[in-house]
Amino acid sequence: MKTSFVFSGSGGQGIMSAGITLAQTAIMMGKHATYLPEYGPEQRGGSAKCTVVISDEPIISPLPLRCDNLIVMNNLAYNKFEEDLKPDGVLLCNASLVTNPQQRDNITVISANVDDLALELGNPRAANIILLGILIGATGIVSKEAFQKSLELKFGSKAPEILQMNLAALDKGYDIGIQHKA
Amino acid sequence: MSEKKFMKGNEAIAEAAVRAGCRFFAGYPITPQNEIPEYLSWRLPEVGGAYVQGESEIASINMVYGASAMGTRAMTSSSGPGISLKAEGISYLAAAMLPALIVNISRGGPGLGSIQPAQSDYLQATKALGHGGFHAMVFAPNSAQEAVDLVYQAWDYAERDRNPVLVLMDGCLGNIMEEVELPPMKELSDEDLPEWSLTRRNGRDYQGNITPIYTEPILEGINAMAGEMYKAWEEEDVKVETFLLDDAEYVVVAYGIASRVAKEAIMELRKEGFKVGMIRPITLFPFPKKVIHDLDYNRVKGIIDIEMTVPAQMRDDIALQVMERCPIHEYGRSGGCLLDDEGVYDAIKEIVTGGVDNG
Amino acid sequence: MAEYKRSSMIAESPSGYCPGCLHALATRLVSDVLDELGQGDNSLNVISVGCSALNLLYWCGDNLSVAHGRAPAAATGVKRTNPERLVFAYQGDGDLAAIGLSEIMSAANRGENFTVIFANNQTYGMTGGQMAPTTLIGQKTTTSIYGRDPQTTGYPMKMCELISSLEAPVYVARFALNSPKGVRDAKAGIKKAFQAQLDGKGFTFVELLTNCPTNWHMTPLQTLDYMNTNTIPYFKPGVYKDKTE
Repeated sequence: MKTSFVFSGSGGQGIMSAGITLAQTAIMMGKHATYLPEYGPEQRGGSAKCTVVISDEPIISPLPLRCDNLIVMNNLAYNKFEEDLKPDGVLLCNASLVTNPQQRDNITVISANVDDLALELGNPRAANIILLGILIGATGIVSKEAFQKSLELKFGSKAPEILQMNLAALDKGYDIGIQHKA
Repeated sequence: MSEKKFMKGNEAIAEAAVRAGCRFFAGYPITPQNEIPEYLSWRLPEVGGAYVQGESEIASINMVYGASAMGTRAMTSSSGPGISLKAEGISYLAAAMLPALIVNISRGGPGLGSIQPAQSDYLQATKALGHGGFHAMVFAPNSAQEAVDLVYQAWDYAERDRNPVLVLMDGCLGNIMEEVELPPMKELSDEDLPEWSLTRRNGRDYQGNITPIYTEPILEGINAMAGEMYKAWEEEDVKVETFLLDDAEYVVVAYGIASRVAKEAIMELRKEGFKVGMIRPITLFPFPKKVIHDLDYNRVKGIIDIEMTVPAQMRDDIALQVMERCPIHEYGRSGGCLLDDEGVYDAIKEIVTGGVDNG
Repeated sequence: MAEYKRSSMIAESPSGYCPGCLHALATRLVSDVLDELGQGDNSLNVISVGCSALNLLYWCGDNLSVAHGRAPAAATGVKRTNPERLVFAYQGDGDLAAIGLSEIMSAANRGENFTVIFANNQTYGMTGGQMAPTTLIGQKTTTSIYGRDPQTTGYPMKMCELISSLEAPVYVARFALNSPKGVRDAKAGIKKAFQAQLDGKGFTFVELLTNCPTNWHMTPLQTLDYMNTNTIPYFKPGVYKDKTE
């Protein structure tokens, strides 16, 4: 089973770190994963996109044309990459910035105001983790426990406060995602 | 002791170089290879090596020239536009018979081109890395792991031949993160310093001379020796992967990232009964001539050259071996547009079902 | 009275320099200083391109011959990996002030702990006397046959002045080799630079004003007079920077 994910948005929205953390978690669970970033030339505010492929088998091509799961953080990314989502795929939108996602081809559309939810948690930078929580809840691609462990490895020793905030963000997203589980 | 890590291709190259004994790096920032100098800027001092951020690619390759002359395992990295600037220094390395590793994480060209990945530097790498008519061995890994393995061996070839080695890898593979198994640290001592080097740490007590300039009859002799060396590479050092060739009616030739995308497409097409196989050059120079030459052209109906550049650059090397015994098709993307599995699948399928004939 | 004898770093074979050329004297001074410091075997001569490359024919120490203008870059690679060696680059004015301007300024700015000996004869000698960045205003060369015109070619480049404006260099000085005093001062300057390097103090730069009888179309004696009347007034000898103490 090979599953592909495209995370897209603007530089600074945590797109790349979301992709890396998901791929690392999959590897921690004994799966194979590739992560491929694509940058514009701008350091801030340009388009950001990364492709993650997760599989039980070693990954041959890391360059799928179309993805099984599309995560979009703003309208720009939605308009640019919406057509790359496969039929029956999952479209996960940051409803705070993606204003009008269209239903088509039996895709599952999940919209959540993750920017607002992150503000409620007291840190706007947690939006990407909330989104990942939703993704994990809805798809089950990695376990919540494994993802928690990834966050612990990443922040645990250096930044315990950021870890706690991210764990809370994960919970918040996961609870939303689980309601959409197929 | 080996260990597994989830690493970016560029960082994997940098760590593999350190473990291969590299103790000097000089380079200049250019996308998409920046993780190599960034990593080595802190990693080399940890192991007693030196990192210098050069004022230009030209200066950087000449710093490598100086370090290599002292017997130090030295390297630089860049992308196409920077490799062009290094061309002078690479030619001097070859002339002075100095080993070094040069890494090209390639991007769209020509000119400033595109910062996105491309395989547009094949001709530069294999035909003319600089003036004067010389070659370097060119390794073209198709994964972070293979990049690690080849970089780990690079100085063994470079020192054996007293000639630079080039690793050519596109920006996708430079920036991809995947699992790699890292080899153990090679522990080199002063006794491993080459006898010809200008260091005195190897116990040399006579005058040493390293020069890229010679008088006429000597230069002719040196060039003839280089010619013999290139021939020996073809006999002994070709690295190539073949995939499902035994019954293949169509043979894809692809290297680096293109070979991975093509392999996935071939596996799909095989499920549908299409007899497609693949030849993947791992050394672009020496080129795997024999395996292409020796295909059974009574069975093989076509060669498909797939590269992430347009027009295809490897085609002439393939054609010299095919010798008009079957058509050669080509498919590619260019200018920073990436190959993808569906595009490659469609292109191969169109060719094998007779939809096109661009041979 | 000291005995006048062949320096140990200079081979008995002909140098390849034209009669009356001060390059031969410049390298002899370097050799004598190395002898006095007992550093001959420990020294490494990074030889650039131009008449300076004739060092290859007669210099008896370790030699690394490098691309045009790139000696400060190659010397950086040498010194960073072998800091115990006494490393010097020997460069001419076309090599250093034109094609290698970026390399010399950047190595000086990094404060690399080696010495650059800069032989400035205001012309490209080996290629037949073309205009150099240091060619004097009005001086005739094969590419400025009516004399250097500042309107189209700018002014002679003063390397000591440029390099001494940088923070890192520890010793920057210019000497003229057309008089016994100038020769004595130059030798002392080279020794000071090498000693500073051995003490790990940083980048040192010694400019030696030299001549080119062949391409200036003068007898050797005429070149010495020309230097007094034309070269020295523009390229003023002196110590431009000394942070060695």
